[in-house]
Amino acid sequence: MEAPPVTTMPVSGGTINMMEYLLQGSILDQGLEGLLHRLRGLCDNMEPETFADHESVYLLKGQQASPFVLRARRPLDRPGAPWHLRYLGQPEAGDRSRHALVRNCVDIATSEVLPEFLQEMGFRMDHEFIAKGHLFRKGVMKIAVYKVFRVLVAGTAEGAEPLSLSYLVELSVVAPAGQDSVADEVRSFAEQLRPLVQLEKIDPKRLM
Amino acid sequence: MSGGPAVQISIESSAEKQIQEVGLDGSETYVQPLSMSQNLARLAQRIDFGQDSDEEENGERSLPRENDWGDQDEEEGLVKFQPSLWPWDSVRNHLRGTLTEMCVLHDVLTLVKDKRYMHLDPVSQESIAPKQSQHGLLLVSKRKSLFSAAQILLKGGERLSKSVAENQENKRQRDFNSELLRLRQHWKLRKLGDKILGDLSYRSAGSLFPHQGTFEVIKNTDIDLDKKIPEDYCPLDVQIPSDLEGSAYLKVSIQKQSSDIGDLGTVNLFKRPLPKTKPGTPHWQSKLEAAQNVLLCKEIFAQLSREAVQIKSQIPHIVVKNQIISQPFPGLQLSISFCHSTNDKKSQKSSSDKMNPEDHLYVLEHNLHQLIREFHKQTLSNIVMPHPASAPFGHKRMRLAGPQAFDRNEINTMQQSEGLLEKIIKQAKHIFLRSRTARTIDSLASRIEDPQIQAHWSSINDVYESSVKVLITSQGYEQICKSIQLQLNIGVDQIRVVHRDGRVITLSHQEQELQDFLLSQMSQHQVLAVQQLAKVMGWHVLSFSNHVGLGPVESIGNASSITVASPNGDYTVSVRNGPESGSKVMVQFPRCQSKEVPKSDVLQDNKWTHLRGPFKEVQWNKMEGRNFVYKMELLMAALTPC
Repeated sequence: MEAPPVTTMPVSGGTINMMEYLLQGSILDQGLEGLLHRLRGLCDNMEPETFADHESVYLLKGQQASPFVLRARRPLDRPGAPWHLRYLGQPEAGDRSRHALVRNCVDIATSEVLPEFLQEMGFRMDHEFIAKGHLFRKGVMKIAVYKVFRVLVAGTAEGAEPLSLSYLVELSVVAPAGQDSVADEVRSFAEQLRPLVQLEKIDPKRLM
Repeated sequence: MSGGPAVQISIESSAEKQIQEVGLDGSETYVQPLSMSQNLARLAQRIDFGQDSDEEENGERSLPRENDWGDQDEEEGLVKFQPSLWPWDSVRNHLRGTLTEMCVLHDVLTLVKDKRYMHLDPVSQESIAPKQSQHGLLLVSKRKSLFSAAQILLKGGERLSKSVAENQENKRQRDFNSELLRLRQHWKLRKLGDKILGDLSYRSAGSLFPHQGTFEVIKNTDIDLDKKIPEDYCPLDVQIPSDLEGSAYLKVSIQKQSSDIGDLGTVNLFKRPLPKTKPGTPHWQSKLEAAQNVLLCKEIFAQLSREAVQIKSQIPHIVVKNQIISQPFPGLQLSISFCHSTNDKKSQKSSSDKMNPEDHLYVLEHNLHQLIREFHKQTLSNIVMPHPASAPFGHKRMRLAGPQAFDRNEINTMQQSEGLLEKIIKQAKHIFLRSRTARTIDSLASRIEDPQIQAHWSSINDVYESSVKVLITSQGYEQICKSIQLQLNIGVDQIRVVHRDGRVITLSHQEQELQDFLLSQMSQHQVLAVQQLAKVMGWHVLSFSNHVGLGPVESIGNASSITVASPNGDYTVSVRNGPESGSKVMVQFPRCQSKEVPKSDVLQDNKWTHLRGPFKEVQWNKMEGRNFVYKMELLMAALTPC
C-alpha cells in the first residue's frame, strides 16, 4: 500500500495556530528537593501533582528527507484518562532576541486505540520512554520536573530504569502564535529559578 | 725650560670692547667704551620720571599747579622707552615721593594761610571716666562667662535629645518591623527594589479581574518630634491606589418602572457611616479591607455589565454609567448600581437624602458577593493538572469529549454556565414573586373575615424557591373544617399550587391569578364546611358539587353547592356558594308545614304529607352568628327536632 503524502508544513490546530514557548534545564537528583520547594513557593497555590507518563515517538517517512514525528503519551497513573497525541514543529529559527524556544504545536486528546491507528496509517515507532516527576502551574505556565526512564520491555512500564542521575526541568507555555510577551514571562520566571537550575533554549537538533 | 727662547704670549680679554665692524681684511674696528660721565648720562636717559602707576598722578594733574611740573614735562618727553628696567628706580621713586609730599604740604599751607576755604579749630577732647569703663568691662566679662556656660548646657541638651530621638527611632523601627510581620500574616507582600508591595486582588482566589490591585507599604517613622504623637499612630502605613480609595457598595433595587428614563445612570451616593474599626485591629487593616471591598464591587459590576451587554434577552438590559437596568417582569425594573464614594466631603454632601431604606435589596446585594465568590472558586477548581503531563491545561471533561465522542448536547451541558446577571435576575424575580404572594395573601386575609386564611411560611428557602402553606378555616371550627390546605411553591416565574388531594395547579406570576384562585378556594371551603358540619350534626348529604353547572355564571371559578337533609328527613337545606355571588341558603319544609301549598284534591291520603314542600330562602344576613358555619349550625340545630 502506498504511503500517504507527507507534509512538513506547519500544521495548524483548529483555527488557531498554537505555539509552544519552551525553556529546558537539568538538575541533579540532590538538588531536586530544593527546586521543588522553591517551585511550591513560586507557583500557584495548589497541591503539586506527580505524574508518570509513557511516551512513544512515531515516525512517518515519506519522500522528504526529514520524517514526520508524532508523540503519543499516556498516563500510567490515571486509568481512564485520554491519550495525548502531540505534534511539535521545528523550533523557529533566527530571532535571537526571543527569550524562549518557540515551536509550532498541536495537541489532541485521543482514545487508547491510537497506537494501532498510527501503525495502520504507516507510522512506525521510533523510540519510547517513561517520564515520572512533578507538575506545577503558574498562570499559563506549566513547569514539569521529571526523570526519564528507559523502557526495557517494549510497550510496558515494567522494569524501566532511569536514564541518568538528573531530572529534566521544562518550563512551557502554549499560546496562540504571535504572543511574544509570553516569552518574556517565561524568561522572568526562569530567572527566579536561576540559583537552582539554569533554564535555556535548547535546540534538540543541535544535540543530535 | 732654561734652554729655550722665551715665547711671548699676549693675553687679551675677549670682546672687552664691542666690535663695531669687521673689515674685509679681517681687521676689526671697535666701539670706544663709554666714559664714566657718558655712562651716567646713558643710564639717566633710561629713567622714566613721568610714568608711574599711582593714580594720584591723575589727581595731581588736575590740580592747577603747572609751574611745578615745568622741568618734569621735559623729562617725560625724553623718557618714553624702557618702562620695565629701572636702574635708578629707588632714587626715582624717592624723588617722586618727596615731590608729592612737597606738593601736598604746599597745598595745605596755602589753604591754612589763606583761610579762604577752610578754618582750623582745636578739637575739644572729653576724657572717659575711668570708673564707667570698669563697669563696662565687668559686664562684658560676665556676659562672656554666662554665654560660655549656656553653650555647654545647650550642647548637653542637644546630645540628650539626640539620643532620645535615636532611641525612639530604634523603637519605631522595631515597631515597624513587628507591624510588617503582622501585615504579612494577612496580606501577600513582595519586595520590589526598595519598595514593599502588597497584593489586594482576589487573583489567588480565582479572580480573573485584570485590575492590578497592588498597594504599597510605607514606613511612617519620620514624624515630627515636637508635635504630639497622635493616638492612632502606627509606624506602618499603606498606600492604596487612588481608584480603590473610599468605600463602595452595590445597590440592588426593584422599582415600578418609571415612565421617565431621563435620570438613568445617575444614582446618587448616600452617606453611609464608615464601619467603625474594631478595637485592636490596626488601621491599615481596615483600610486594606475597604480597598479590597471596592475592588470586589468593581469586579462584580464589571462582570455584570459585560454579561448585560452579551446576553441576548427579549428586553435588552441597559447599562448606563454605573447602573444596570433590567426588566424581570413587565412594568418592573431591577436596577443594580455601583456606588463608590471617595472620602472627600463634597461628594457626600451632595448625596441625596431622600433614600428609602426599603428599596434596597440587601439579600441580593449579599448574594451578588456570594455569587462572585462562587465564580472565583469555580475558576480555581476548574484548573486541574493535565494528565498526561504534556497535555494542555483545560477542563478534563472537555478533553474526554473527543475520544469518547460526545454529542452536541453533552458538550453544551459542559459549556453551559449561567452568568452572574442571569442568576441575580432570577433571584430578584423570585424575591419579588415571593413578596407579592405574601402581600396578596395578607390583603385577602385582612379583607375577608370569613373564612379565614392562614399562611405558614417555611423558614428554609432556596434562592430560587420558597414555599408557603395556606390554610382556609372558619373561626371556631378549625378542627372539623380542615378541608382546604394548599401548598404554594413559589418559583422564579410561576407559582405551583399543590392541593391536599394531590392536584397541582400552576399559576403564572400575575397577581390576579393567585387572588382569583384563592377566592374560589374560599368559596368552596364554605360548602365543604357545611358538608363536614352535616356529618357532625347527623344530617345526611343528599348532593354535593364543587362546580355547579346551573345558575348565574361566576366571573371567577364556579359556584359550589350542597344539599343536606335533617336526620328525620323532614327538612332539607340547600346551599349554593359562589366566589362572586356569595352564598344562598334555602330550606325545604315538609309539605304539611307549608301553608302556601294549596290542599290538593288528588293527594288526600295522609301519607302524601310526607312529600317535600317548596324551598324557601333564608335571609342569611339576618341570621345570628359570627360566621357562615356558625349560622349554619344554628340553622341545622333549629331544624332538628328534639
